[in-house]
Amino acid sequence: MLKILLPTIMLVPTIWAVPAKYLWSTTLSYSLIISLISLTWLKSSAESGWSFLSPYMATDPLSTPLLALTCWLLPLMILASQNHTAPEPISRQRTYITLLTSLQIFLIMAFSATEVIMFYIMFEATLIPTLVIITRWGNQTERLNAGTYFLFYTLAGSLPLLVALLLLQNNTGTLSLLTLQYTPSMQLSSFADKLWWAGCLLAFLVKMPLYGAHLWLPKAHVEAPIAGSMVLAAVLLKLGGYGMMRMMIMLEPLTKELSYPFIIFALWGVIMTGSICLRQTDLKSLIAYSSVSHMGLVAAGILIQTSWGFTGALILMIAHGLTSSALFCLANTNYERTHSRTMILARGLQMVLPLMTAWWFIASLANLALPPLPNLMGELMIITSLFHWSWWTIALTGGGTLITAGYSLYMFLMTQRGPLPAHIISLDPTHSREHLLMALHLLPLILLISKPELIWGWTA
Amino acid sequence: MHLTSIMMATSLIIIFLLLAFPVLTSFSPHPLPSNWALTQVKTAVKWAFFISILPLCLFLNEGAETIITSWTWMNTHTFDVNISLKFDIYSIIFTPVALYVTWSILEFASWYMHADPNMNRFFKYLLIFLIAMITLVTANNMFQLFIGWEGVGIMSFLLIGWWYGRADANTAALQAVIYNRVGDIGLIFAMAWIATSLNSWEMQQMFTLSKDFDLTYPLVGLILAATGKSAQFGLHPWLPSAMEGPTPVSALLHSSTMVVAGIFLLIRMSPMLENNHTALTICLCLGALTTLFTATCALTQNDIKKIVAFSTSSQLGLMMVTIGLNQPQLAFLHICTHAFFKAMLFLCSGSIIHSLNDEQDIRKMGGMHHLTPFTSSCLTIGSLALTGTPFLAGFFSKDAIIEALNTSYLNAWALFLTLLATSFAAVYSLRVIFFVSMGHPRFNPLSPINENNPTVINPIKRLAWGSIIAGLLITSNITPLKTPVMSMPLLLKTAALAVTIIGLLTALELASLTNKQYKPTPKLSPHHFSNMLGFFPMVVHRLAPKLNLVLGQTIASQTVDQTWLEKVGPKATATLNLPLITTTNNIQQGMIKTYLSLFFFTFSLALLLLLY
Repeated sequence: MLKILLPTIMLVPTIWAVPAKYLWSTTLSYSLIISLISLTWLKSSAESGWSFLSPYMATDPLSTPLLALTCWLLPLMILASQNHTAPEPISRQRTYITLLTSLQIFLIMAFSATEVIMFYIMFEATLIPTLVIITRWGNQTERLNAGTYFLFYTLAGSLPLLVALLLLQNNTGTLSLLTLQYTPSMQLSSFADKLWWAGCLLAFLVKMPLYGAHLWLPKAHVEAPIAGSMVLAAVLLKLGGYGMMRMMIMLEPLTKELSYPFIIFALWGVIMTGSICLRQTDLKSLIAYSSVSHMGLVAAGILIQTSWGFTGALILMIAHGLTSSALFCLANTNYERTHSRTMILARGLQMVLPLMTAWWFIASLANLALPPLPNLMGELMIITSLFHWSWWTIALTGGGTLITAGYSLYMFLMTQRGPLPAHIISLDPTHSREHLLMALHLLPLILLISKPELIWGWTA
Repeated sequence: MHLTSIMMATSLIIIFLLLAFPVLTSFSPHPLPSNWALTQVKTAVKWAFFISILPLCLFLNEGAETIITSWTWMNTHTFDVNISLKFDIYSIIFTPVALYVTWSILEFASWYMHADPNMNRFFKYLLIFLIAMITLVTANNMFQLFIGWEGVGIMSFLLIGWWYGRADANTAALQAVIYNRVGDIGLIFAMAWIATSLNSWEMQQMFTLSKDFDLTYPLVGLILAATGKSAQFGLHPWLPSAMEGPTPVSALLHSSTMVVAGIFLLIRMSPMLENNHTALTICLCLGALTTLFTATCALTQNDIKKIVAFSTSSQLGLMMVTIGLNQPQLAFLHICTHAFFKAMLFLCSGSIIHSLNDEQDIRKMGGMHHLTPFTSSCLTIGSLALTGTPFLAGFFSKDAIIEALNTSYLNAWALFLTLLATSFAAVYSLRVIFFVSMGHPRFNPLSPINENNPTVINPIKRLAWGSIIAGLLITSNITPLKTPVMSMPLLLKTAALAVTIIGLLTALELASLTNKQYKPTPKLSPHHFSNMLGFFPMVVHRLAPKLNLVLGQTIASQTVDQTWLEKVGPKATATLNLPLITTTNNIQQGMIKTYLSLFFFTFSLALLLLLY
């Protein structure tokens, strides 16, 4: 565990000590090495359960894929931010990378914590760097409002969680994930128990975000700089899914009925946010709403509590993390050239950036879950497990896949196809950096096709 | 392992490798040579075809079928997903047919697309499309089939939208994907049902385990899937729109490979389908409706490709009828024969379109028989084969289907519609020949007419041979799985031919009327119905997107997200706290009155407490 965490912490002094000339290349290669080492977690020797145990941290099949994703994302964020921070003074660039690194430190500790309260603290701690990224490094004045929304939605959801966790500690005497699942199941019957149940899950449902509590997400995504959008879509939302899966074990008898309205709400959100995507004019907002839509499916998959549901949710989380992050990067390549997120102002880009179109195409296909990409495996498993619960869900999930295909291809056609508008007189050619960035996003996704059990979680 | 099955497996894997090789090498960073399309892609397909004859011969000789399971892809608890390839009668016969047709189309495309700067990429797309189709055909489990299924869908998106600068091409491409996605919901539904009820996506296990279940719902899902992919009534408008793509694309995607995927799915699933009468009746009625409706639409179209496209749709309806008759093998036979003459019809129309400087309107053609004798002869052969002229390819399948329909006790309504559609086939085929080949030229005098190019002549010639003899070859070599009815009254036996001839004579009579001074008041509403495609796109393409987009904008975005959720969430927090804040704030504004009254209040309170 410390093999990853200590180097990540030591990345901070490195950032400040390295000569300005080598700042980006050093941090990039350093973080990439960390992420490559983190891949060893995927090969866990233990048949099932925990491995790489230390007093406070451990990995298990559920957290490993998310940890690897977290580590994988730091070099990508560094790669993506290089261009738009270039005009800044060098000390600010260092601060920025430090911020990103601190986020990774918190995230690693959150995902690998074996103590729920430590997970909670780290869960909250990630808010700070993210808030700074959004409100300090965003571009428009609306970023302040976005930051407020982000902070208060998440906090309002997670404070009840703290109370609920303290109650749990009082009742069971432990909050260790290693033993918690073996504690005798509680007799939960009163109305207060139901409130406790809601308190346990609310924080994560807001973080996911569940439809209805999602307002902060599009705002945060739109206003955040590229690295913020990437990490938000790829990892921070997954904290919600991860936390829910962890808490689900303890909530067993109550969840059966109480989760029904939430499942329906999540699925209804898939349709509604998908429809919103169909009418978006703002590229980043479209991708953000598509995240809400996909995470709705994840939420439903987790709440249904079957092994296929969990597996599908985890697969979809990883796949969606890579896909949406890739889409945000693509949106950013447009943004850096046209300085606008409005789709109608940057059309027909296949003419000028042909190789980028290939990346756009693959990313759009991944977003609409083309077989055999892991996105499809995840969606199919979730749809199947929901279908097993109730046949009517197929109307919502099926409609969701239809709408997803619609807006993904709408986005692709709108940005890449058609004639080039006359106002685009000169665009920078694409950089190798950008192609590398896209390749590093999409190659893992494609490679995961051949070995999906890496991101299967407990079912493997 | 037995020698035969080793040979079959090896040759089939070689086919896959041969086809995949050009795709893989094209990823090398060096730019491809300009003749890559011909030297690599076409050659690969050609050799793949020759190699695919070997398993075909082995199958014909020994009846050998094989299944290769190479790798367990995923395994959750008891649920396995394997990579396994199925080489049975259907895939072994379909593969050479598809490869043969594709070989010809690729050669033709090298002429048709020679001015396109991205010809290599075009060929690569066609090749990936073919690989996806063969994946679909040889799949032995639902997941693999789904890969091929979506693969052809997405490749058709790319190929239909090949001329991506044009808005029409882009909308047609999007339309194809969206209609197919509607069908995919059915497939996903069926897959979810199969996974939860039968716990296996492997075909044999599915067939064995499904004996005790009521299969109506999953079968309806599969039929919905086939409706989307094979452009059956309700989800059909994408097929004629897809003619926005280059003609070789239309020839490959929309005649012989992709659109038959839906029918092929039902043929594959026929062991599940054959005992379910509800599903069979749905297929029968849906197919009959499709075949008549699209044949009606074909009657008055003026775009040559649209007519051919609608005739494809009509033939697909006929195949669906055959599925409904519980004769999957006949439907498969019709897929194979149809592939030859329909691909040829498209290539002929492509050749003519190219010769007339990209003119697609048949009213601006005419007299082509004198100018492009070979192409227009082949157009005629293809049309004859399509109408089921005896002993051409179409006859063997179409006639057999209609005989089977005539001798069945199923549904007189479906029978009537199908027969009507059969006679319409003669009408629209005659119309194409009448306007294109016969009469006098009505086109621009400076058209670059030249069909004397081996890359035009050879593919069409090969397909013409196929259209003439393929039916005979296939029917005389495969053993029917079901005993056909051999004896029937003369009227039933000749029904198909009779209605075709009646259609032909009526059409000739109508055509000759155009030369006469006979001026009735025309009744335009039937014409409008046919010409406007039954007003179907007008209604569905406006209403459904409009509803969804209004839902997205007005309800989901404006009413819910931007108004209500804001109002009850963040804004409510602010408005609820504001009175409290303003009150406390106002108190502390330095107003001496407030301070004095507060002081007086607390003082009197304290006094009261002290006293009592």
